[in-house]
Amino acid sequence: MRYRETGQLHMDFYRTLNGTIAYLRKKHGLRFLNEALRRMARGVYRSIHEDLRRGDPEQLVEHWTYFFDREGGRYQLQRQDGSIRFTVKQCPAIAYLRSRGLKIDPAFCRQTVVINRALAEGTRFEISTEVLGGGRCVQTVRRVRP
Amino acid sequence: MIPSDHFVRFYNEVFKALERKGHRHLVAYWQELGRLQTRELAARFRVGGIEECHTYWKRILEEEDCKGELTLTPTYFEFRMRRCPSLAKVLDNDAAPCEFYCDHCMGWVEPVMKAAGLHAVMDMKSRSEPHCVFRVFRDPAPARAYARRARLLSSPYAKSATTATETRRNRA
Repeated sequence: MRYRETGQLHMDFYRTLNGTIAYLRKKHGLRFLNEALRRMARGVYRSIHEDLRRGDPEQLVEHWTYFFDREGGRYQLQRQDGSIRFTVKQCPAIAYLRSRGLKIDPAFCRQTVVINRALAEGTRFEISTEVLGGGRCVQTVRRVRP
Repeated sequence: MIPSDHFVRFYNEVFKALERKGHRHLVAYWQELGRLQTRELAARFRVGGIEECHTYWKRILEEEDCKGELTLTPTYFEFRMRRCPSLAKVLDNDAAPCEFYCDHCMGWVEPVMKAAGLHAVMDMKSRSEPHCVFRVFRDPAPARAYARRARLLSSPYAKSATTATETRRNRA
């Protein structure tokens, strides 16, 4: 995995992330926000995207589970019929913002939706993100091309 | 979810996106950060002065895993950053760093200090190495003198176009 941070967490970055998403949405619009997130996926997470292009989703799965474990998120990982389902039962980012009584921007979960979509573009996979609300979602990786 | 560990890399992408749209959009974002931080911190620094700056950055030094030294003199507070965790992470990245990444720091600090009646100077030293020296002075004259000696002065709110050009020229 390309990035594997250890040591102290600074969860208050979620406050800034939430504020940044709100600012971009209000001042520059959703298209601009999407483009910044897309570049995050294709630049910062280039290594995950390249693995997907080669047909290997395991770095993405490790990325999900490593950082959820590190931040105390709750999830279930299931593999079935060639698809991998990551069911988020408690998103650590949402949990942190709620614990501080902060208003969560309506576009906050767009980060997950857009990044997943951009990671899958041009690969053999499709990554769907079903946002269920309340810090829950289902992210599914499916091979759609041989 | 972008993990909290990866936030600064997203920040870097946001800065690049705003800069592509026009430098004034990046400056406007720093102003927004400054406005929010002024609301949080200005009153505290106005009352507590450079001693309170020392207290605040002592906590930051510990919580944000910075490597550096803090010094408090009768004239100024100094934060000598030996390893900035933020720029270090942006440099350890498959995406390119924003050429103005370091300026976001002074971008929020400067409005806070102005509102607090203090005088901040940041010598970035280099844009490609994660270290800098940041001082907060009680009085403007020694602040100006220190700014004149800076190797790479951070001045995010100097006339935007000029700053962008000068910063490119001074890029280390």
